[in-house]
Amino acid sequence: MNVVSLFGRLVGEQAATNPEGARKILLAGYAAQQAKLSVAPNPRLPKSRQRIAVDTMKLVRNALDHPETAAATSLFTPTEFLHTAGVTPYSVEVISAFLAGTQCEQYWLRDAEQAGFPETLCSYHRTFLGALESGILPQPKSIVYTNIACDGNMVTFPHAEEAFNVPAFFIDVPWEHSEDSVAFVADRLRQLPEFVGDVHGTAPTDDDLSRCLVREQRCAADYGHYLDMQPTRYLANDMTSEMYAMVALRVMLGSELSESFARRLAAEIDAAPEADGLRLVWMHVIPNMLPPIVSALSFNDRAYIAATDIIVDGLATPIDPAKPYETLARRMVYSAYNGSTDLRIERALDLCRRTHADGVVYFAHWGCKMTLGAAHLAKTAIEDAGYPCLVLDGDGCDRVNTSEGQVATRLNAFLELLEARRAEQEA
Amino acid sequence: MTVIYTCKYAPVELFAGFGETCAPFDDAPEDFAAADEFVHPNLCGFGKDVVQKALSGAIDQLVLVNCCDTNRRVFDIVKASGKCRFVYLLDLPHCADACAIDRFAFELGKLARAYAAFSGKAFNATAFRAAFAPQPPVDYDYVGLVGVRANHYTEQVVQAALSLPVRNLTCTGLRSVAPLDDAEDEDALFSAYAASLLGQIPCARMERTGGRRQILADPHLTGIVYHTLRFCDYYAPEGARWHAAAQVPFLQIESDYTKSGSEQLRTRVEAFAEELEGAQKKGPAMTITEDTLVAGIDSGSTSTDVVIMNGKREIVASAIIPTRGSASASAERSLQEALDQAGIPRKSIAAVVATGYGRDAIGSTDSSVTEITCHAKGAHYLNPQVRTIVDIGGQDSKAIAVDEHGNVTSFAMNDKCAAGTGRFLEMMARTLGVELAEMSTLGAKSGHAVSISSTCSVFAESEVVSLVANDMPLPDIVAGLNRSVARRTAALAKRVGVNDTCMMTGGVAKNEGVVRAIEEAMGHALVVDDRAQLAGAIGAALFALA
Repeated sequence: MNVVSLFGRLVGEQAATNPEGARKILLAGYAAQQAKLSVAPNPRLPKSRQRIAVDTMKLVRNALDHPETAAATSLFTPTEFLHTAGVTPYSVEVISAFLAGTQCEQYWLRDAEQAGFPETLCSYHRTFLGALESGILPQPKSIVYTNIACDGNMVTFPHAEEAFNVPAFFIDVPWEHSEDSVAFVADRLRQLPEFVGDVHGTAPTDDDLSRCLVREQRCAADYGHYLDMQPTRYLANDMTSEMYAMVALRVMLGSELSESFARRLAAEIDAAPEADGLRLVWMHVIPNMLPPIVSALSFNDRAYIAATDIIVDGLATPIDPAKPYETLARRMVYSAYNGSTDLRIERALDLCRRTHADGVVYFAHWGCKMTLGAAHLAKTAIEDAGYPCLVLDGDGCDRVNTSEGQVATRLNAFLELLEARRAEQEA
Repeated sequence: MTVIYTCKYAPVELFAGFGETCAPFDDAPEDFAAADEFVHPNLCGFGKDVVQKALSGAIDQLVLVNCCDTNRRVFDIVKASGKCRFVYLLDLPHCADACAIDRFAFELGKLARAYAAFSGKAFNATAFRAAFAPQPPVDYDYVGLVGVRANHYTEQVVQAALSLPVRNLTCTGLRSVAPLDDAEDEDALFSAYAASLLGQIPCARMERTGGRRQILADPHLTGIVYHTLRFCDYYAPEGARWHAAAQVPFLQIESDYTKSGSEQLRTRVEAFAEELEGAQKKGPAMTITEDTLVAGIDSGSTSTDVVIMNGKREIVASAIIPTRGSASASAERSLQEALDQAGIPRKSIAAVVATGYGRDAIGSTDSSVTEITCHAKGAHYLNPQVRTIVDIGGQDSKAIAVDEHGNVTSFAMNDKCAAGTGRFLEMMARTLGVELAEMSTLGAKSGHAVSISSTCSVFAESEVVSLVANDMPLPDIVAGLNRSVARRTAALAKRVGVNDTCMMTGGVAKNEGVVRAIEEAMGHALVVDDRAQLAGAIGAALFALA
């Protein structure tokens, strides 16, 4: 048994009798991890990725250690309204991913099941709900959430609102991609600063939001440059760093952290070695703990993720600093993760063309009905457009739901297929 | 042509305004073979069935509601197929406040325009208003079938077992849209309609679900059968909360929307009926003396067990034989073996009561009782202190809470799945190439149990194959398997409450390794009686004497 799983066991078992104590152990472990990442970062990673690992750890610690200045959020919540007012996003998905990284997720999954949450629910949400039941999660000051990208939100957040007994702000995003929907969401977002002010003491001003969007414009340009360089360069990456990129460009989008991450990335890709490995467009969450995927796609200039749709989605719509509410509403409505599957396919194909991708991996995360339900349509459309597509079943959080042997076989066979296709094209 | 809808928020009255009739989607397929090609298996059976019906061309016009991710994707798939002449997804807000009502009114208007364009018909406000049917008051006691979409088949199985009427209050059944005020002018018509639709008892996917408590508040509600669908995540948590707080008898059932698993469903509903309607006298009318002999037969999937009991409630003889061929043939052979053992002829048995899966297939019995009630009675007979029973049989596992008289107060069963059952252990023994008896003790030799994380038996099997391939010591694998069964069983037991003396029954009680692992997982000692496998048959015999 390795150190991490021993630590996970310690936290999990302690939580049964002493949740406060378990949280202290967890936080001590995270503090040690942060120190390690700062002093001895992974030398194979570029500076940008070394840095974001530390920043993400800090963010998680901050949320759990200072919950009185945090708001629980979902991945598609416009956190601009929070971090500009000094409120830490207490991200459900990121905290679950960290709990799973600490290898104590099975304790929370069990607690969630005992509380009646079905094992067919997305495991990121189940881990969070179980940890909430166990008492290990501290009470945030508020909750700000939305129904996108999946039903897991509507199961998790109303329950968290009741269990934590804190005020919640819900942003209902209509299904249809239309300007009517944008206007409806923008109206709702106009009420958010007042909520944040009432609950947290400081409300973000329109100027704060506009400045934030100016940073986002720079960030989008830098990340866009990173994507545009993909056809010829490879900047060392691993699955966990790709997950952290999602933290920078979704959870903390518009913050200093986010901007400097993208700026460094853009500079580093220019200096990165030339490469022409197999380029993949990854769709959906990043399973950074599944050994066969990690070993196939980390630090490997022969096969790597050139773009991940869930990351790029946050930067896909136009940014107008003069119209913060409409900009942020449009991002939600026209998210590839909202509405019909067509937009999701179209955006993935845009990424394929932009990065000269060899193929697409559609990660069918267990329990995510919106992704599973679109799998067949997406695969057909992507392949019709000339890009091989692998629908890869697995679970990014709950190890139980994945057969590692099958994942390894399928992913590696897909890479062999892409390799052969290249050889044929070159011949 | 009828417009098919899938949700109680569907605007049925609006279609009446176009002179159309609507019907809720209702079906009970054998399987999802026709959907497999288009739909990922981990979508709920309802969604898969709508897809296969629509793609077969059986649905002309389909109105879906943006209720859940599955319905959204069903819409994408059906629309892309081009198989329905009219397919529409109505965007339902998650709230019912003023903004949401405005938005929903706008969505209803959009649907009306789309339907007018499709059908070439004009909307008739008078026909629309006339379509609001006032709901007759419910002034009788009933059992509520609550939760998510139950098809007519499930409804029939539930109704067949109960003498009280069953009302379908599931998310498609509970449609009750308040009539509109006559004074509403045309402009305000859709706003009033939106308010009326959103004013129904909310479904579980709404932001605020407190209004659902109205269902519980009805004084005529006598019992609840709470239905969940595999892969629908909205209702199960509410089911668990209501179960814990229910003031009336409560049963939670899960289906996959097909006809399969009806035997297990029937067992559960019948046991619930026994709980609901009081333990009725199940034995045949007869005078019982000390010399009276009766038999109880437990017709299980793996073994058929018989107990012969006398009027003093003493066990005279018993037999356990593997179930082979038909349930009735196995029952006859097992009964004969017990009779031979006791040296008595068949005709001296005054009454026979059967329990177990095959209970109704056995022709020669006087009556039948579900194995849940029988296990409770049998365990109580073996040890009157028992308040919790954990039973792992070949086909299923269950936890039963009993009172001081051996009456069932609550029970939970695993759902159509081999994981955590005797069958699972058998499969794994075969995979490992060891005898079942060996499995029982092998785990004790383990220095360090491996973690078998899969709860699905199919996944677990491939996990075990990889462990064997990695040369993992056999005892460690067995210990890991025991733990995985124990984890599931302990969760089941905790659902009914682990109290006082806790007994393990069923064939797996003979497996020491599993028993120890369950004790560890529950943090509570288990009593195992040598006769534990006979608990069901003992209970049946006791009913024959009752």
